[in-house]
Amino acid sequence: MAAPLVLGILVAVTVRAVLYRSSLAGFISERVEVASPLNAWKRVVEGLALLDLGVSPYSGDVFHETPLIIYLFHFLIEYSELVFMITDVLTAVALYLAVQDFNKVVFKKQKLLMELDQYASDVAELIRTPMEMHYIPLKVALFYLLNPYTVMSCVAKSTCAINNTVIAFFILTTIKGSTLLSAIFLALATYQSLYPLTLFAPALLYLLQRQFIPVKLKSKGFWLYTTQYAALYLCSLVVIVCLSFFLLNSWDFIPSVYGFILSVPDLTPNIGLFWYFFAEMFEHFSLFFVCVFQINVFFYTIPLAVKLKEHPIFFLFVQLAIISIFKSYPTVGDVALYMAFLPLWSHLYRFLRNIFILSCVLIVCSLLFPVLWHLWIYAGSANSNFYYAITLTFNVGQILLISDYFYAFLRREYYLTHGLYLTRKDGTEAMLVLK
Amino acid sequence: MAAALPAPRWLPAAAALLWACCGLAATDGIQDQAEQFFRSGHTNNWAVLVCTSRFWFNYRHVANTLSVYRSVKRLGIPDSHIVLMLADDMACNPRNPKPATVFSHKNMELNVYGDDVEVDYRSYEVTVENFLRVLTGRIPPSTPRSKRLLSDDRSNILIYMTGHGGNGFLKFQDSEEITNVELADAFEQMWQKRRYNELLFIIDTCQGASMYERFYSPNIMALASSQVGEDSLSHQPDLGIGVHLMDRYTFYVLEFLEEIHPASQTNMNDLFQVCPRSLCVSTPGHRTDLFHRDPQNVLITDFFGSVRKVEITTQTVALDPNLVGLETRVPSDEMATEPLKYAEQLPVAQIIHQKPKQKDWHPPGGFILGLWALIIMVFFKTYGIKHMKYIF
Repeated sequence: MAAPLVLGILVAVTVRAVLYRSSLAGFISERVEVASPLNAWKRVVEGLALLDLGVSPYSGDVFHETPLIIYLFHFLIEYSELVFMITDVLTAVALYLAVQDFNKVVFKKQKLLMELDQYASDVAELIRTPMEMHYIPLKVALFYLLNPYTVMSCVAKSTCAINNTVIAFFILTTIKGSTLLSAIFLALATYQSLYPLTLFAPALLYLLQRQFIPVKLKSKGFWLYTTQYAALYLCSLVVIVCLSFFLLNSWDFIPSVYGFILSVPDLTPNIGLFWYFFAEMFEHFSLFFVCVFQINVFFYTIPLAVKLKEHPIFFLFVQLAIISIFKSYPTVGDVALYMAFLPLWSHLYRFLRNIFILSCVLIVCSLLFPVLWHLWIYAGSANSNFYYAITLTFNVGQILLISDYFYAFLRREYYLTHGLYLTRKDGTEAMLVLK
Repeated sequence: MAAALPAPRWLPAAAALLWACCGLAATDGIQDQAEQFFRSGHTNNWAVLVCTSRFWFNYRHVANTLSVYRSVKRLGIPDSHIVLMLADDMACNPRNPKPATVFSHKNMELNVYGDDVEVDYRSYEVTVENFLRVLTGRIPPSTPRSKRLLSDDRSNILIYMTGHGGNGFLKFQDSEEITNVELADAFEQMWQKRRYNELLFIIDTCQGASMYERFYSPNIMALASSQVGEDSLSHQPDLGIGVHLMDRYTFYVLEFLEEIHPASQTNMNDLFQVCPRSLCVSTPGHRTDLFHRDPQNVLITDFFGSVRKVEITTQTVALDPNLVGLETRVPSDEMATEPLKYAEQLPVAQIIHQKPKQKDWHPPGGFILGLWALIIMVFFKTYGIKHMKYIF
């Protein structure tokens, strides 16, 4: 399996290199869908230039990256294209290894449940076989590498790629089962952009499952492990934040990075939901609505944890998707990350209800983004409502995609335990409805 | 019988005396008339005509202003002495079915737009601030002459305002207002700066009389189309154009002015009688208490026209030697500083040859040390200490 992966990597790197040298690079790096105020490359260069002039890069509203990015790019700024290509490759490799391991876990669990007779009798066609799961890691890696969103994000040199790499490493270390490394990478991911904090819950659930610790609120083992993991996570976060203090000898980066993410002062249009709302909001309501919008990201964690207790990796996928839909400055790079996981759930295809319309919506919206931007900004014959309509439709499409997969997953689980052909008490065929 | 009566001896003397008297009288008459140039009120006329409303349905306000403009031009005030402020362009409005025209009579009898309308303040330039700056003369130095009211203390100024108003205010451009207090203060500033000799203020808005209630400067006569609490009404809609063309008061004023010619002797009392209640529905008002002359003696052409009566005479007129001639004071030689040439103002040579600053930022050593120490610690924790011997 290594050879096809290497081939895929080579193809992806070639595509990116070609695009870097073409004239599209300038055009793509200016697109608001790809570069947000948080992760635009222009701002990184500006911040480093400010630093060279002896001014703190966080003065003024230009630079919103963490100090570790400053450190990383201070030495690597001339090789930036290479750095971004390498990060993409690293992400793909990490995802490949993670999914390989995960497949083994899935298969083991399935075998266990079959031996325990947990499955109904007529669900043979729903059981997954190693044959069909063989190519999934490759598909995941290729989905990530060759996704047009990822390619655009890489060509625009948006630091979203670095975020994706950290999250991919976090997923890899979680699936491998290493508590310390998982906590460290989660801390790094949270440090980069605040939202991966919500990935604490699925990672914890997975690690507990791996250690065969049952998730019971009264069990001592559960609390012991949870506190251990949480302590590791918080300590590493504190260490990283303190280390960043020593880079510039100031705490300036905290309001500039985290304050910026949470309070959304910059209302440049992007593919998210925040900008239009806050552009027309009165000052005295904005605090309330900022809180409401931000809560949306964190709010679904607990209910999903309750429902998807047994399936933490699916929970991780849904949580990743929720982060990239509801975060304050999303870009297509975030979308690309959770879309890379879709081959993992390809066995759910027969239960998906709206996949055709959703894929059409997503493709059409992605194509309409630059069109309506041009109409609004350059031609002047449209206005921000048009662009926001496409943003809304795109996000609605994403939400429907996630809920469709959620429905399909739960339905499959139900069929597995209750049998494929459901009958009511009097023998007629029953319909399964998601309430 | 042809013997002439012997002329009385005193006749030639009397005749000579009479003739001398006549001559003297005649000379005095010329003198009087000549001095009338200096004793009578004004030597030049100005007009400030303001329309304050925009949007197509306020067509009549633009037509009002343009009618007064037309009359004033016809009676002799040149464009250089008229400041015309129109808040919107009706002639070229896309809703105008007859482009390049502004009619004041229905059936399109009278096009007040004409061929040579000179609008000085147009569209969004008609603001309260600009209006007050024009009146008081506090204008930025870059303003062109056509936008200035260059009046002096011998100017008679006609100020005509129309638009939408209320009790004590007049609305500009649907977004701001000028109050009667502001206007009165502006006129007082004009008086103190000697910017007018006599001022005629005409206003055609709802409750227009409220706008002249607060005037306190001398030599102002004011007319308004309605009293406080009354609305000024529009005159006639034109079904072809679709809007009301004129307001009643200005319509009848225009009718009145059409009969005035440059030499007419009609006085202000006739203007006060224009548009009685039966025609105007509102009660026009006027205020003359601040005016020092009797309105009976004030000619319409004193404000609406700009006519000089010229009489050719062969007699010489001795001017009053007390008239102080202005001595042109030769300005003392100032220190003549050589003007800097443009290129010399910038130290170009310095800028070009400046080397880029070598200041570069390096991350502090402590940070690098700490970071890599942490990374190595994590590495060894994960993979065990046994790998150490392969490194060292």
